[in-house]
Amino acid sequence: MLRTSDILATVRMLQEEHLDVRTVTLGVNVAECARNDMADTCRAVEGKVAAKAGNLVRVCDEIAGRYGLPVVNKRLALSAASQLLEGRSARDALLLARAMDAAAAAVRVDLIGGFTALVHKGMTPGEQTLINSLPVVLSRTDRVCASINVADTRSGINVDAVRLVAQKILNTAEATADTNGFGAAKLVVFANIPEDNPFMAGAFLGPGAPECVINVGVSGPGVVKRAVDRLTKARPDASLDEIAEEIKHTAYRVTRTGELIGREVAARLGVAFGVVDLSLAPTPLVGDSVGEIYQAMGIHELGAPGTTAAVALLNDAVKKGGAFASSSVGGLSGAFIPVTEDHALAEAVAAGTLTIEKLEAMTAVCSIGIDMILVPGGTPATAVAGIILDEAAIGVMNGKTTGVRLIPVPGRDVGDRVDFGGLFGGGTVARINCPRGSAAFVNRGGHIPAPLRGLTN
Amino acid sequence: MPAQNQAQRYVITVVVADRVGILRDVSAAVSDLSGVIDGISQTVVQAYFTVTLTAAFPAGVAPEEIRAALAGAFGPDEAFIAVRRHAAAGGPPPVAGARYVITVTGPNRPTVLKAVTTYLARRGVNIEDWNVMFDEPYVTHVGEITVPLSLDIKQVQDEFHHLMSQLGMTTCIQHENIFRATNEVGPITSLLKG
Repeated sequence: MLRTSDILATVRMLQEEHLDVRTVTLGVNVAECARNDMADTCRAVEGKVAAKAGNLVRVCDEIAGRYGLPVVNKRLALSAASQLLEGRSARDALLLARAMDAAAAAVRVDLIGGFTALVHKGMTPGEQTLINSLPVVLSRTDRVCASINVADTRSGINVDAVRLVAQKILNTAEATADTNGFGAAKLVVFANIPEDNPFMAGAFLGPGAPECVINVGVSGPGVVKRAVDRLTKARPDASLDEIAEEIKHTAYRVTRTGELIGREVAARLGVAFGVVDLSLAPTPLVGDSVGEIYQAMGIHELGAPGTTAAVALLNDAVKKGGAFASSSVGGLSGAFIPVTEDHALAEAVAAGTLTIEKLEAMTAVCSIGIDMILVPGGTPATAVAGIILDEAAIGVMNGKTTGVRLIPVPGRDVGDRVDFGGLFGGGTVARINCPRGSAAFVNRGGHIPAPLRGLTN
Repeated sequence: MPAQNQAQRYVITVVVADRVGILRDVSAAVSDLSGVIDGISQTVVQAYFTVTLTAAFPAGVAPEEIRAALAGAFGPDEAFIAVRRHAAAGGPPPVAGARYVITVTGPNRPTVLKAVTTYLARRGVNIEDWNVMFDEPYVTHVGEITVPLSLDIKQVQDEFHHLMSQLGMTTCIQHENIFRATNEVGPITSLLKG
């Protein structure tokens, strides 16, 4: 029997604290769409997406209404497009990306992931074609998101791939200079890429996944922040373990809503249910910020000593609450720190309290990496590669996912303000220390070997 | 269901100013007549103890006899007692549909409950549980309802929201599973099957 106080607590989460399902992402394997002719392949991809995802938005909207729980984004994650590009040209890559774009538009989905290559051990010609096509693809499509896995714990880091991708990030930003390099916001470079991540831009359907699967990303930074606020208001001297406990309980509730929605959507679409990704994903709205949670804990200046510990506390408590809530937890599952998408983080970067170096430290204990950070358009490719290598090293050595989503803003320099609008927010161009100081190291290329902890058999 | 041959079920309601031991007195009176309680709901509203129960009694136990036994547990005119035959045993529920939770919050006005229940009754929605919390000058109504499958829940939500907003009230009507998911421990799959 439901207690009135429990009912009202849930209503408060829904109506006042921005609780929502951030994304319901349908994974679709398109490997079977390969044909001799690229135009036929493209038609097959569009046909399969239409067949599998035609009802996705309608079903999500119906279920969202039934539960009063908004499903903010409905998205698609295809199997790695590089599989369809072996023996193909850069022109074919653009044709395929445009087919993905059209397929997403046809089913009213705003973003489609899966323009993906897994190159942590080496690159095939098709994967190289995909990476080389990134500037053209990301500047000439609206919905397509790309991801490249350059490292994993069992393989080490493919430095040659890192160097190539770094250059393509710069080229993509230049190709989208009219939107302040926004094309780069649709490209993530990963170490230990998850196969079931529902969040963009890194979502793709991994090779071990079913043919079609629903993965759900819950959110709820606002809910967690308000829970911490209530605790510290009632008990101003609440200890950090009490705060962790409060976050854990809140994460439990948030995760359960995601699984409820995800399982029902999957059942209605007749596809498998995959995972709940219990990441705290902020939006630029005040009250929907991960940075505000750290502030509520007592880190009044984000970036101050102790910030990394606050991230670790939050990340761990979220995982513990989520893990008890559901046996189907996966994806990234932790706290995101996408700077432009979180007003508190963006303000801290603008104020100079939060630097790229501190953000990098935070990524060692959060669920993703250097995310949505604006850097000068004139940043050398070796500096971009160096940042990717640093993040990949953290991921590989700690057996966790890390990612890099840098936006080199053409024509802009440190301190300049840039706004993308909508969920992507805006921020201030950050400084990269010693941008030319590691060129010789990066340019050696090759491969950084797998760590001992990768030899687990 | 009746536990004895030729048993007769009764619905019994007792309302009395709250004190310690009321439920003991009621259950003892029923038990002393060899009655078997098979359903019970009890609460305290504004210092008044209220219990409604169903019980099966052996053939030959008349309702007047039950009432007298219960009245003997209380002082003269202390309690309101009603006893009647249970006529709907095993029948279908009043409405076949899905369970939703409804909340209405806003300024405390005497017309709100009438407006809410009039709308729900007009749409064929059955109220199964209702609680009201007063925090002057505000009031919060929380109910559990069954919405007929034939109704479009989105339309019901929109109509109700529009109606209540004219009275300055905020509302929500949401499927009970969202509340069970956030407040219970069992697996989500059991909610969807249930």
